[in-house]
Amino acid sequence: MTETKPAAGVAAAPNPIDGQKKNFFAHLTGIQSFQILLVLLVIVTIFSILAPTIFPQWTNIRQIVQNVSILAVLGIGMTFVIITSGIDLSIGSVLVFSGVVSAKAMVAYGGGGWDTALVGLLVALVVGALWGLLNGVLVAKAKVPPLIVTLGTLGAALGLAQVITGGVDIREVPVVLTDTIGYGNVFGTTIPLISLVALVIVVIFGIILHKTKFGLYTFAVGSNEEAALRVGVKVDKQLISIYALSGTLAGFAGLLSLSQYGTTAIAGQSQTNLNVIAAVVIGGTSIFGGLGTIFGTMVGLFIPAVLQNGFVIVGVQPFWQQVAVGAVLVAAVFIDQRRRKAAARGAGSKSKVSLANLWSKKK
Amino acid sequence: MKSKRRLVSIAAIGAVAALSLSACAGTDTGPTPNASGDYKLSFIQGVAGDEFYISMQCGIEAEAKKLGVTVNTQGPAKFDPTLQKPIVDSVVASKPDAILIAPTDVTAMQAPLNAAAEAGIKVVLVDTTVGDPSFATAQISSDNNGGGKAAFDAIKQLNPDGGKVLVMATDPGISTTDARIAGFEEAIKGDSSFTYVGVQYSHNDPAEAARLMTAALAKDPDIVGVFATNLFAAEGTATGVRQAGAQDTVKIAGFDAGPAQVKALKDGIIQALVAQQPALIGAEGVKAAVAALKGESVTAETQTGFQVLTLENIDTDGADYVYKSSC
Amino acid sequence: MTSTIPILEAKGLTRSFGAVRALDHVDFDIYAGEVVALIGDNGAGKSTLVKALSGNLALDTGEIYYAGGKVDLSTPAQASKLGIETVYQDLALAPHLNPAQNMFLGREIPAPGLLGKFGFLDNKAMRLRSKTAFDELGATVRSLSDPVGSMSGGQRQAIAIARSVAWAKGVIFLDEPTAALGVVQTKNVLETIRRVRDKGVGVVFISHNMPNVMEVADRVQVLRLGRRIATFEANKTNMGELVAAMTGALDGAGA
Repeated sequence: MTETKPAAGVAAAPNPIDGQKKNFFAHLTGIQSFQILLVLLVIVTIFSILAPTIFPQWTNIRQIVQNVSILAVLGIGMTFVIITSGIDLSIGSVLVFSGVVSAKAMVAYGGGGWDTALVGLLVALVVGALWGLLNGVLVAKAKVPPLIVTLGTLGAALGLAQVITGGVDIREVPVVLTDTIGYGNVFGTTIPLISLVALVIVVIFGIILHKTKFGLYTFAVGSNEEAALRVGVKVDKQLISIYALSGTLAGFAGLLSLSQYGTTAIAGQSQTNLNVIAAVVIGGTSIFGGLGTIFGTMVGLFIPAVLQNGFVIVGVQPFWQQVAVGAVLVAAVFIDQRRRKAAARGAGSKSKVSLANLWSKKK
Repeated sequence: MKSKRRLVSIAAIGAVAALSLSACAGTDTGPTPNASGDYKLSFIQGVAGDEFYISMQCGIEAEAKKLGVTVNTQGPAKFDPTLQKPIVDSVVASKPDAILIAPTDVTAMQAPLNAAAEAGIKVVLVDTTVGDPSFATAQISSDNNGGGKAAFDAIKQLNPDGGKVLVMATDPGISTTDARIAGFEEAIKGDSSFTYVGVQYSHNDPAEAARLMTAALAKDPDIVGVFATNLFAAEGTATGVRQAGAQDTVKIAGFDAGPAQVKALKDGIIQALVAQQPALIGAEGVKAAVAALKGESVTAETQTGFQVLTLENIDTDGADYVYKSSC
Repeated sequence: MTSTIPILEAKGLTRSFGAVRALDHVDFDIYAGEVVALIGDNGAGKSTLVKALSGNLALDTGEIYYAGGKVDLSTPAQASKLGIETVYQDLALAPHLNPAQNMFLGREIPAPGLLGKFGFLDNKAMRLRSKTAFDELGATVRSLSDPVGSMSGGQRQAIAIARSVAWAKGVIFLDEPTAALGVVQTKNVLETIRRVRDKGVGVVFISHNMPNVMEVADRVQVLRLGRRIATFEANKTNMGELVAAMTGALDGAGA
């Protein structure tokens, strides 16, 4: 880019450079993920008032955090996917499938030590990645809508898991996994180890999403795929990578699930995909693409978990928890819609306000 | 606007700080012993919305009222350990004096229930069990093995000439249904006039059971009897048989007597129901829990019986055994 | 305009979509440092021609020459590499990204050292250079951190043009650049076009706005039914003649 002098006669308006990062707080409070954090804090406050000797205690909070850990790992992948205005319904099934294959591999390898666990980990990651790649290729190259693709892999992965096991859960998991990651704590504390593992992964991918080129391209593809393509962003490669990431994380979650439950729990995880999607959306990630944060997803995960925990402690019928989560989810999307309308003044015809976009890949 | 946002954020951070301080400051006590016997019980169902567990809840609540203790009931939306575990954890955190629970998986629920016992809570296993129930104060369940045999006897009564029989189960690995199937299979082995075409798993989903039933009939149109191992399986099997138009040839013996199955019995779609006594299981569970809390002796394992319901007795002495949809 | 070879020349381009012939042996040329207006009625093939010359369209027949050498423009990346940039009617901006991110999309500056290899970016440098580019154009971009989608049409136009201008070395295509703009913004865009021309870049702009065409173009090339039917020197023609050419009254008039 070369320098030229502004021609005389045309006002060169001074450009307030926003080179400095916006004031931290102003930046923070503007975003929806902070607003949803306030919602979480309100819920926490209410339950703390209703059950002060039980709810706000570390023993209780600790187990909420532990139970959210696996969902957090899944939520990372889902955040990336939904930012591209895609969706991944297959994560629960891929989790189960990876757990099954990983468990079988560990049983075949024998032993119950860390070497066995490592084998299981690698197998789980590879298997998850393969399912993710399948999703990604079908979405990016074959141009099949993500809703349909992942609906298919949801069925296929779960079905294959049942074929492999004959429907019978595998209950032999190396003791090192169940004892340390499943129920173990970080050395010298009562912080669940599984939560620390999840936190590390959350932080790493949070940095990747918000600070690296890969993350930027994720937003670009979600914001305007056509534009990204025209400036040379390898959109197909980006989409395939993102779905592969979601699958790999589901594989990792499969191993974590083995550690926590000590069984493949094939009949489980049936609602996991919807719960994670709800959490991601509640946390401020827009299903129309281009917008989202890992932090918001984490807050979004805690809301249903805290609601359920609080309802159980206070003695409210469990079904109300689902009503409450449903209401928060709709409210979150409503707020997202209003925010988009306000931001898109003058955007003209480029309106993506249509659920039809969940079904079509082309905008 | 910016200053307002700053105020809000400071307030939020302040709230988080205050809560964390209260969390650290709070003492962690075990359940407070209650000399007056005003105990707090928690009942965790295998799945909410299932008449078997609702009947159990009714029995529990009735017995609790009699003994002057309080009960709170929770249950996961599906018979799924990944859904039941967070509920168990939350219940344990609320420190009831005793928990009555139907575990949804023999392995997955082991550790959470161990933790409950370690926290000083009396744990009574109702209906299902776990791999190592040594932590449990008491285990109360139906004699499922005998129930399976009774189901076979019912089928034999309906088909004296023998023939092909199928078992429609839910998932392998659930202690109760596995025992029923075992009892049924042992009984078949002892009777050469019956051929066993195997067991199908419907994953506790009536729609799945219906699909599997129509497929099984397509493969073996001469099936004469089906033993459905629980309520959802029986519902689905009946639907599947009706869809295939085979209500006249296939005799179904179901396990559990929910309103839908009783209606099916009365309509002639199911011919026999082996009813458990969930209310009794629940009541015995409450008795065991309270006895343990009072320091009295408790029977480690109790098995309850069953009642075969047919068109003959359903409106008379069988009526009491029908499961309730609400208390 | 001292070069005698056009910076970009198209000869006999043909492209059909089913039964419709969008381009019918169309020719086109532009020299460095000149502004050419590409006009024609709806369906004449203007946008299709621009797509072909910017690497977004496969051709059935025809040849394209860049600086005298034959080239094959099958992808936008190839066109970009040669120094051809395009500003589309829909601007091709990512509304959730800020102006600096849009400016550098696909061409990010990596962070120095090891961090750069891991994909970290030098946001500060990109913001600085974006500001410089906007200032050069006299564009008022109020914030470099706000998403582009929240800005007015004029600002977005400025960002899209600035992006192309920043990266263009040879030719810029502008498809209806003033279509949605007000008077002041239009004035700025036309001034930008002049400035870009003065840099030595060739500017091609499609427009239906005859006054704009007369004001800023050096030459005008008219398309009709997929063919180039006339070329005019802007200072030797008038609006009436241009309209007549577009609508077919002057079919066959000299190129």
